[in-house]
Amino acid sequence: MRNILAIGKREFSAYMTAPIGWIILCAFVVLFSFFFVASLMFYDQASAEAVFNPYQADQLNLNDMIVVPLFGNMQIILLLAAPALAMRLIAEDRRTRAIDLLLTSPVRSSEIVLGKFLGAIGFATVLASSTLLYFGILALLGEPDPGMMLSNYVGFILLFGTLLATGLFASSITENQVVALMVAFAIGLLFYILGWIGGSMDEGTLKTTIEYLSMVSHFEELQKGVLRLQDIVYFLTFIGFFLFATTQRVEALRWR
Amino acid sequence: MIEVQGLTKRYGDTVAISDVSFSVARGEVVGFLGPNGAGKSTTMRIIAGSLGASMGTAKVGGLDVAEDPRGVQRLLGYAPEVPPVYTNMSVRDYVSFAATLKGVDDVPAATKKALGRVGLDKVSHRLIEHLSKGYRQRVGLAQALVHDPKVLVLDEPTSGLDPAQRVEIRNLLAELAEGDRTVVLSTHVLGEIEAICSRVIVINRGKIVAQDELARLAAVGRKVKVELARPGADALAALQAIPGALRVDFEEGRYVVLGETDLREAVSAAAVPFGLLEMAGREKLEEIYLRLTSGGAS
Repeated sequence: MRNILAIGKREFSAYMTAPIGWIILCAFVVLFSFFFVASLMFYDQASAEAVFNPYQADQLNLNDMIVVPLFGNMQIILLLAAPALAMRLIAEDRRTRAIDLLLTSPVRSSEIVLGKFLGAIGFATVLASSTLLYFGILALLGEPDPGMMLSNYVGFILLFGTLLATGLFASSITENQVVALMVAFAIGLLFYILGWIGGSMDEGTLKTTIEYLSMVSHFEELQKGVLRLQDIVYFLTFIGFFLFATTQRVEALRWR
Repeated sequence: MIEVQGLTKRYGDTVAISDVSFSVARGEVVGFLGPNGAGKSTTMRIIAGSLGASMGTAKVGGLDVAEDPRGVQRLLGYAPEVPPVYTNMSVRDYVSFAATLKGVDDVPAATKKALGRVGLDKVSHRLIEHLSKGYRQRVGLAQALVHDPKVLVLDEPTSGLDPAQRVEIRNLLAELAEGDRTVVLSTHVLGEIEAICSRVIVINRGKIVAQDELARLAAVGRKVKVELARPGADALAALQAIPGALRVDFEEGRYVVLGETDLREAVSAAAVPFGLLEMAGREKLEEIYLRLTSGGAS
C-alpha cells in the first residue's frame, strides 16, 4: 500500500507541475463552462416560452434540462481528456528510462500500475471538483436533485476511471505517447459507439450483448439518477480488466 | 555475495550474453570491462532484476533474482548508465521517493544521508531538469544507495562526464567501496578500474574472456621494452640471441622483446652492456584490455 500511495502521489504531483495537467484542466473548465452557459441559456429560453405555454411549464426541470445534458456532454470531453492524461503514465517512463527506478526497486508490477492509476484518478477528481462551482450556482438558482447529482458524479468518476485504465494500458504498450493516445482513444471510441451499433440492430442476443458492452448505456442509467449494481460492476470490471492487462505488460517489461 | 552461473540472454536469434559465470565475494570491488555491446549492461540488468535471463541463474546474497526479485532488490542498489530520474522532481523529492520505494523506514534521514554522501546537499531543492549531467549521475547514485545496500551495481557511472566530474565521481566510488560493501562497476575508463577495483572481469561478444586480479591478468615479462644508451646492430643481435625471444622490434626509440615466458631477467642481462636506461616489463591495463578484447564488439 505504501508503494501504491508513493507512486500515486508522485504521478498526481507530476500532473500538477507539468503543462499537460494544466492544459487539460483549463480545456476542461473552458468546455464545461461553455456547456453550462449553453444549458442555462437554453433553460432561460424555455422558461420564457413557458410563460405562454402551461404545458411546457410542466416540463421545466433543472435536472433534466441542465444536469443530465451537462454530464452527457462530459462523456465526449472525457473521451478526449482521459487518453491525453494517461498517455504519459508508462510510455514516458520507458522513454526516459525512469522506469528503471521502479523495476529495480522492491515494488510489485501491480503496485506500479495501481499507483499510477491512483495518481490519474486523483487528478480526475480535481477535474470533477472544478465542476462543483457550477452546480453550486445551480443550487442557488433552483433545486437540483442531490441524488441525481451524486449518481452523475459516480458515473463521471467510473467512466473517467474506465477510460484512464484503457489509457494506462495503451501507455504500457509503447514508448510513444502519441501512439498511446491514439490507441486509448480508439478503444474508448469503440466502446462508446457500440451503443449506436447495438441500437440499429434487430432484437436478439447479439444486440443485448453489444448494448451491454457499450459504455453509453451504463452511463445513461447513472445519468438518470439510477444507481444500479450492474452498471457499477460493468465499469469496475472494465477497469479491473485493463489494470490487469497493464500489470501483465509491466511484468513482461521486467522479464522480456 | 553475487553468484552468476551460466547466464544466457537471447533476443530472438541474437545472443546478448552466453554462458556467463562469475562470483563476487563480500566486500570485493570488481570492475566489469568490455567494448560497447559486449553484454556488460545486460548482465548487470539481469543481476538487478530489471531483465530476465533466457538461461542460467543469478544470485545475490544467496537469493535467486528470478525467484525472489524483491528480496534481491532490497539488498542491492543499481545505478544504470542513464540515471532513472524524473526530471520534473526536485532532487530531494526524487531521492525521498526512491527511499520510500526501497522500503526505508526513516525516509527523511536516509534521504539526507544519501544526498550528503554524493554531495547533493546544496542542490537538493533544485529540479533535476536544471542539473548538469554530472549532478544527474550523482542523483542516479543517490537513489542506488539510499537504502544503504550491501551490494552496489553501477553501470558506467562516469559515462559522458568531463575529466573533473570523473575525478569527483571516482573519489565518491572509492568511498562507497570502503567497508564490506560489494561493488560491481562497469566503465570504459580503464584508470577507474585500476584506481578502485581489486579484480576485473573482461567480457567480449557476450562471453567472459578473463577474470582475475589486475596484477595477475598482466602477462608479466612477455613483452619487455628497453631503452638503451647505445642502440645498434650489436644490441639488436644480443637481444635476438636471448633464449625464448620470439621477436625483437624497435618502436619509438626502444627495443620491444616478445617472448613466451618472463624474459625480464635475460633482457636486463643482455641490455646492460649497451647502457640500459629504462626497462618496462609489465603490461598496462589498456594493453591487457586490447589483447583480451581484440576483435571488438559483436
